[in-house]
Amino acid sequence: MGVVVKKVELNWLDRTYVWPVLMGMIITMRHFLKQISTRTSKRYTIPYPDRKRTPAAGYRGLHELKRFQDGSIKCVACFMCAEACPARCITIEAEEYGDINKTQGFDEKRPAVFKIDMLRCIYCAMCEEACPKDAIWLRTDYEQASYDRLSMQYGKWDLMNSYADQDGKPRLSQDPTPTVPRKPIQT
Amino acid sequence: MLAFPPLAVAAAPCYLEWPGFHEETRTESYPMEPLASLLHLTPESFWMLAKVLIVFLGPLTLAALLTWGERRGSAMIQDRVGPNRALLFGRWRLLGLPQLAADGIKFFLKEDLVPQDASPLLFWLAPVLAFVPAMMGFAIIPFGRSFTEGGHTYHLSLLDPGNGMGMLYPLAIGAVAVYGILTAAWSSNNKWSILGGMRSSAQMVSYEIAMSLAVVSVFMRTGGYDPQQIIAAQSGMWNVLPQCVGFLVFFVCMFAETNRLPFDFAEGESEIVAGFHTEYGSMKFALLQLSEYVHIVTASALIVTLFFGGWAVPFVAEPPVLLSVAAFAVKLVFFCWVFIWVRWTIPRFRFDQLMFLGWKVMLPLSLGNLLLQAYLMHRGA
Repeated sequence: MGVVVKKVELNWLDRTYVWPVLMGMIITMRHFLKQISTRTSKRYTIPYPDRKRTPAAGYRGLHELKRFQDGSIKCVACFMCAEACPARCITIEAEEYGDINKTQGFDEKRPAVFKIDMLRCIYCAMCEEACPKDAIWLRTDYEQASYDRLSMQYGKWDLMNSYADQDGKPRLSQDPTPTVPRKPIQT
Repeated sequence: MLAFPPLAVAAAPCYLEWPGFHEETRTESYPMEPLASLLHLTPESFWMLAKVLIVFLGPLTLAALLTWGERRGSAMIQDRVGPNRALLFGRWRLLGLPQLAADGIKFFLKEDLVPQDASPLLFWLAPVLAFVPAMMGFAIIPFGRSFTEGGHTYHLSLLDPGNGMGMLYPLAIGAVAVYGILTAAWSSNNKWSILGGMRSSAQMVSYEIAMSLAVVSVFMRTGGYDPQQIIAAQSGMWNVLPQCVGFLVFFVCMFAETNRLPFDFAEGESEIVAGFHTEYGSMKFALLQLSEYVHIVTASALIVTLFFGGWAVPFVAEPPVLLSVAAFAVKLVFFCWVFIWVRWTIPRFRFDQLMFLGWKVMLPLSLGNLLLQAYLMHRGA
């Protein structure tokens, strides 16, 4: 398929080439003066390590595994996120836990291992979409560089604590034993 | 004297025999004498040494600053920020100027590769061949008003006026400059390099004619080709007004001579990798790059001298020496900036467009200007 190129007839002033060049130079000079007189904070470029961009609310950054108020993980190890993940970067190993007093004798399910390979993750938030419990969120942290590959394997506690400091929550290192039933048992 | 005994022995006799050394017989005083005697030099050779240093270090420093100006300035033109990360002693940012030092250190520490098929001698020689003519061109430019002190006239240019070469000298040196590029291209034994070198030489030859004719019309108007004469002839009005066509031709040809972007065919990074310096790395590349910027400084100095009154200050008949030097520096820096400014405004030409412009536009314009000036001279006389 051919495209008809419209030939523009230039007037004599444009054909001298000098005048359009002068006009162009005025434009570049205007940009120069504007940029040089703009304060650093107002420029398009953010000087990164000194100033950081605040991501929008819907930004898909580092994952967080959400927790209940008592600190227990919301995730029920249903594997929906692992199935939904197009990059196949989520590894889950489920375990059962129960306590006759605390969980009324029911065995509940939770992840013993919840690993995300951040080198493989494409930050598509399909896991967030798939999660029936809203237990995994992709949030605003975008600084996940590290010096070795092993540091990019985020485990369960890394993911649970990834925004703990930002949200002012305590950092966790073990599953708390639930003290109250999370849902009253209807009989 | 203790540090350089041979020098003292060599210098002392001629210093003592020099007439006017003894206080009672002296009729003229040399203002530079204390410094000169410190170095065991006659005041003349000391003044020469000082001028050599100024003429050598001035363009070199300005060229180094131009690389900074080019990078920051182009960034500002394109709404970017440019290199501002290099810190002096890890503390002072200084508008990104430490980047120069960082680049220099990097270039010195890089491995100096010579391609296997390159011609080693020419490959080594080419950066020098490019750099030396670029530095030499500045020698004729008067960068300040000549002044008389203690019965001696001091000229602020490396080559004193009346040396018989005048402004023909930088033109000749400019013609030599293409050999550096051509040698670099040829010795690299690389098809992109050779293409770049061939293009560059064709371009320089084409534009040199128009440029020389534009300069000749300035000579005709002045009645001589000594830079001091040319500057003196511009005392009433800068040459740029009566010679606006000539200025335009000369200005455009200077872009071609310096291989700057609208006519960037020696390098041509969008087509032939990096042109004549494709195979160059480390300090040899830096030297080639630096010679391009020194070329810009020299070209700006030529433009200023030929068309913008050199060191002359507008509306000041006899400016103080320092003021004249400052005026020259301001004009020089302005035109260096124009070179950068134009580079980041205009897109590249195609090679046939370049040849068309050189032979069918610039040459007739320049010839017409020459004839017009000749006619005006004839009518005026």
